[in-house]
Amino acid sequence: MTAGLASLAARAYGLRWRVLPPLTGVAMLAMLIGAVLAAPREVIEGEVQRLMYIHVPSATIGMYGSIGVVFVASAMVLWKRDMRWDAVARGAATVGVLFTALTLLTGAIWGRPVWGVYWAWDARLTSTLVLFLIYCGYLLIRQIADPHDEQTARYAAVFAMIGALDIPLINMSVRWWNTLHPQPIVVRPLGDEALPTEMLIVLLVGTVAISLLVAWLIVLRTETELAAQRIHGLRAGVDRREAS
Amino acid sequence: MDYLEFMFAGFAVFWAGLFVYLLMLQMRIRSLQQEVERLEERLAEQEAGDRRTTEARPVAGGRPAAPATRQSPAPRT
Amino acid sequence: MSETMAVFRKDLRLAWRDRSAWLSAAAFAAITVLTYSFAFDLATQDVRPLLPGVLWTTFLFAGILANGQSFQREAEQGTLDAMLLSPVSPTAIYVGKVLTNVVGLLTVEVAVLLLATILFGTTLLTLELSLIVFVGTIGYVSLTTLLATLGSRARARAVLLPVLALPLLVPMLIAAVRATGASLGDPVGTAPWMLLLVVFAMWTSIGGALLFPMVTER
Repeated sequence: MTAGLASLAARAYGLRWRVLPPLTGVAMLAMLIGAVLAAPREVIEGEVQRLMYIHVPSATIGMYGSIGVVFVASAMVLWKRDMRWDAVARGAATVGVLFTALTLLTGAIWGRPVWGVYWAWDARLTSTLVLFLIYCGYLLIRQIADPHDEQTARYAAVFAMIGALDIPLINMSVRWWNTLHPQPIVVRPLGDEALPTEMLIVLLVGTVAISLLVAWLIVLRTETELAAQRIHGLRAGVDRREAS
Repeated sequence: MDYLEFMFAGFAVFWAGLFVYLLMLQMRIRSLQQEVERLEERLAEQEAGDRRTTEARPVAGGRPAAPATRQSPAPRT
Repeated sequence: MSETMAVFRKDLRLAWRDRSAWLSAAAFAAITVLTYSFAFDLATQDVRPLLPGVLWTTFLFAGILANGQSFQREAEQGTLDAMLLSPVSPTAIYVGKVLTNVVGLLTVEVAVLLLATILFGTTLLTLELSLIVFVGTIGYVSLTTLLATLGSRARARAVLLPVLALPLLVPMLIAAVRATGASLGDPVGTAPWMLLLVVFAMWTSIGGALLFPMVTER
């Protein structure tokens, strides 16, 4: 049973280059058309509200989804001691940094006309910024130390796991911290009022598109890192021959 | 109250970020390709060197391990 | 347990023999408090709203400085690798190191609190504040010790340590500053800051004790 499932998964993964690019392209196009043309204009916020269709999926799928992948892959690095999982963790971490930055940027651009400021020390914004800094720290470890060193990989894995487990505490502390300050702008929680059906459909399309994009980017980056690992192994072999 | 320019700025930032990421990925792949080329050159040099030593000493009984070490990395290139 | 105590005694003796790291951290902390009082004009104003932040940033920076120095020494001498080859369990090594650093940092913190009591005329060495400082330090040191010890083995650089540690310490810093403010009589709301401090200390120490052997074993 599990062997059948594993072979099925392996065969599905073998089709990734044929399936992911066209599907992602079509979904992204659908999202763009849906967000800019098809979705109804929001009454209060106007056209700028259309940023929601990329902002919300970037935060949920791009940011938290990538963190999930980094967390699982880091746990596997520590458990299985297999450097291939390290390539997955690095690939997901770079994609996570990208989408956290995109979430912050699109959010700031959305916030300027709606709240009047690019940045507010709101709980959600602040915790996202802290998360971005943690992600950047993870990439810094990889950048500074030898990327093929197993000790470095384990160190980075520990940091990634602690960082992921820290997120609930950060969210809670920042929320409590913020309630003490006067809030100049009240962030409207998205779930508060039900979205119109058309908007919900476009948001769903956007979520699918960003999910595919994130999956494709993570696969691309992971396979690049795997190739780098194999090249590193080859170079060690050539070095050994030259020395002998 | 439409703020069309902000909407365009938001979408532009999104696509620009994606583009910059892909550009960085491409740079990484190119550096890996250069690394592969360098390795190929070094391997070819080593092989040429091996041939010269075996030609100079046709009965090279002292180096039976050389072909075996050549075999191991070759299939992966 | 006896293993942990043995490691703790050995580390403590090493720290005592090499006092310069903790002495310079203490000197740094004193100078930081002085710098803050010039920068924020603490001498002439009512200091109580600012004091918790001043104290905790001083503790954080002094701790990071001391940790960075032990990081450097570890990387140069490789004492951790030698210890891991001995039959002592990695968990005992980690706990012993944390205890040593807690003792060192608490000493510095008590000195800073005494200094601030004299300089600002506010009684700081109360039972409540000591408890807050103690719990906060345990959470803080468990995390930085884990990052510093493993980082020195991974040949990361000491400058990296604050960049990695400070974002993770955000919950602890917020909770500690608020709890300290509450103990000084500031209006800080009703959030359970002490609970957050305790939760943070528990998860960093348990997480560190679990992750440290996973990384270093074999």
